[in-house]
Amino acid sequence: MIYLDYAATTPLDPAVRAAMLPWLDEVSGFGNPASDHLPGRRARAAVEAARAQVAQLIGAQAEEIVWTSGATESNNLAIKGALEFRGAAGAHIVTSRIEHKSVLDTCRHLESKGVRVGWLGPDRDGRITAEQVLAALRPETVLVSLMWVNNETGTINPVVELAPQLRERGILFHVDAVQAAGKLPVNMADVPIDLLSLTAHKFYGPKGIGALFVRKRPRARLAPQMHGGGHEQGMRSGTLATHQIVGMGAAAALAGERLADERPSGDGARIAVLRDRLWQALGGLPDVLRNGDATRTVPHILNLSFAGVEGESLRARLPGLAISSGSACSAATREPSYVLRALGRDDELAGASLRFSLGRNTTAAEVDAAAAQMIEAVEFLRALSRGDSACIESPRHGRRSAVQDIGDVYPLSVWARFSNPAHGGCLQGAAVRVARATTPASRAEMELSLKPGAPLEARFRAYGCPYTLAVGEWLAEVLERDGLPVLRRIDAAAIRSALEIPEERAHCALMGEDVVHSLLSQIESTS
Amino acid sequence: MPVYLDHNATTRLDPRVLEAMLPYLSGPYGNASSLHRFGRAARDAVERAREQVARLVNCQPGEVIWTSGGTESNNLAIKGVAAGVTPTRVLYGATEHPAVMEAAETLKASGWAVEPIAVDASGRVDWPRFEAQLLTGPVRLAALMRANNETGVIQDVARAAALVHAAGAWLHVDAVQAAGKIAVDFVALGADLMSLSSHKLYGPKGIGALIRKSEVELAPLHHGGPQEKGLRGGTENMAAIVGFGHAAELAQQELEARAVPALRLRDRLEAGLRTLRGVRIFGAGVERLPNTVQFALAGYDGEALLMQLDRKGFAVSSGSACSSGKGEPSHVLLGMGYAPEVARGAIRVSLGRDNTEAEIDGFLAALSALVPA
Repeated sequence: MIYLDYAATTPLDPAVRAAMLPWLDEVSGFGNPASDHLPGRRARAAVEAARAQVAQLIGAQAEEIVWTSGATESNNLAIKGALEFRGAAGAHIVTSRIEHKSVLDTCRHLESKGVRVGWLGPDRDGRITAEQVLAALRPETVLVSLMWVNNETGTINPVVELAPQLRERGILFHVDAVQAAGKLPVNMADVPIDLLSLTAHKFYGPKGIGALFVRKRPRARLAPQMHGGGHEQGMRSGTLATHQIVGMGAAAALAGERLADERPSGDGARIAVLRDRLWQALGGLPDVLRNGDATRTVPHILNLSFAGVEGESLRARLPGLAISSGSACSAATREPSYVLRALGRDDELAGASLRFSLGRNTTAAEVDAAAAQMIEAVEFLRALSRGDSACIESPRHGRRSAVQDIGDVYPLSVWARFSNPAHGGCLQGAAVRVARATTPASRAEMELSLKPGAPLEARFRAYGCPYTLAVGEWLAEVLERDGLPVLRRIDAAAIRSALEIPEERAHCALMGEDVVHSLLSQIESTS
Repeated sequence: MPVYLDHNATTRLDPRVLEAMLPYLSGPYGNASSLHRFGRAARDAVERAREQVARLVNCQPGEVIWTSGGTESNNLAIKGVAAGVTPTRVLYGATEHPAVMEAAETLKASGWAVEPIAVDASGRVDWPRFEAQLLTGPVRLAALMRANNETGVIQDVARAAALVHAAGAWLHVDAVQAAGKIAVDFVALGADLMSLSSHKLYGPKGIGALIRKSEVELAPLHHGGPQEKGLRGGTENMAAIVGFGHAAELAQQELEARAVPALRLRDRLEAGLRTLRGVRIFGAGVERLPNTVQFALAGYDGEALLMQLDRKGFAVSSGSACSSGKGEPSHVLLGMGYAPEVARGAIRVSLGRDNTEAEIDGFLAALSALVPA
């Protein structure tokens, strides 16, 4: 498995892990940092040392760092806390449509409470411009929330240019810096951002710990969102998880050091070279689009759209690659990336987009192997799809290991046919009958061609999810085995039960039924 | 290291729990929300832990919502139940944890009536007053803790549940201190919502759970992301979740093996304390957690005694670690009707599974030396 999903999460750095372990020790590292005795004081000292480390990574003062459970909480605390403190009534805030879900959902929540929200859309390169933000401001605007780096495209927003202009106007500026910290210089001493969200697990620290930078001078005021006990200067209550905090501190220190290393072997330069290597390999494929602004991007993210390939099938052909079709946070919903749609990609193309994100452990060999797998998968699916005008046999590959890796997502009956179809292609000649069907909603297509005689021959082409392709393969297989009479026995229910197709994929079986019907009516009309 | 007698503040991480966590602190384990294989392995571990926690408190795995700890669980329960509905009343026990009290108090700003539930001098619900209070108008939620963090007093939650449900309200139970020390049965208690925290039962810090009956409509505290069915956004804290699960399983298996020796030590401690002049043990006559003793010595300031005991190598506290350092008298004891000067003298000893008779005797000797008869 090649891991190219560092923007979703990074592995814990061994040095960070080593720093955390003493604080998981049952003898010396267990005190509650809020306790007034020796074990408590020891834990508290470790927490404060880590606070200084995180502050240093972003050029802040230690007392400006508030611990949270991660970026989602940081973003919630920043936006809701600021609005609640200032009074939400009549307030206006400005944000963009390409923010992380935690910002989007928080702003939508506030909208439902009567706060007016100016939603900015990106240009075709995924950028929100400073002019756009300034134009959206109103006299009653109290807060602007904008991400420093977009998590899907890697495009850098002009937060550095914007900050002084918002300060001048007395508008609070919140920046989600989750994808920027440790990747770009982030210096709160120079950039007058008021609130800045961070999370440890994006820079090789532990999960479950994040921070919110809350500027002291001029003071950004927040209403707490978690009450009880008054930890973190009253801004965020709850027992502090010493080991996680120490881990975030160590990870921040390490990230700072590696970021400062400008040698070709340093993180930034090395990863950019690998990213370019990947783009060079994949950019050679026809109809591949790069999403985002290649001139203003972080070194570790490459987002590509593969036209003419259905997204789910593409991902299913890549069981050896750990990549993401967007943000992991929306993966569970399987919706096409809202960021790419905001960039003007249609649902189809957004669905066939992949985010490659590289990291500290990525090697050139991994990049080359990933590119080879990508090219094979794209060419395979394009050859199988009707959109490819040439009438060629589908390539066949043994993919035993793949079944182990991803077989649990699909029924084996579907997986085996999808991964290694024996009947891909089309037939030509006077006697050949061709039937086609589509599903308008998912824009899947299926074609079945049939050459009567003995032996009867059948081939399919399809564009769609793995279920669609498996249905095509199964129909051709059954026709060749049982001959034409079998057509009368095939309906959607039969297809579903033969292939164990779940309810939510019933449309794939219906499309198979349509193809069968179309074939039958052709045969009947000529006989 | 000092003799640790502050297990209600936090417990040592069980080495067996650490063992279970370590694989998730190394290797390429992914974001549990990612679809690829690393992500799926992570998700399986998360679901296993959910079953382990569910077994500890006899609830369904699907009722377990991961949080960052007891404070978040309490905030989510109370604010989540109140969000988006017409404000009526929220009631909370006078001796609740600050996370419950303060979360409830914030609801006043959005039009809720927020009232404490009176307790008697032993710290238990004043039943006649509570019954009358429920009848004075509609109630959305009542919050009562299973066991108090300072006194260890155990609340008859099941009795409250019947009354609260009859009044058409939900019952939230803060079981952070009870879980792992006494049996906690979500169903038998009649709770609708229940808070748990891992680091009080020899699990890691930074992870907790809110147990929620599916009928209870809840609005999220942290918006964003589909994790925890949309009720709690944020990348799952893998290692901590696995650790919590393992700690819950051990707590369930070893419940009695932990409680019986704790009670024996507590009895020894109380017998010793009773030989001191002017000692008062809070909640003495009622059912308490087997590990907790809160007491005061007439004429002595609790903070000063704590500092002196700390110097002698005994880690105890005045009450909640969450409000330590503020110098305010315990709201728990004030709620039970004690005068501020009595409450200010309070010292809490909370025992753990590693404490020994020798440590108790040492503590008693050190304390006796500080308060000559």
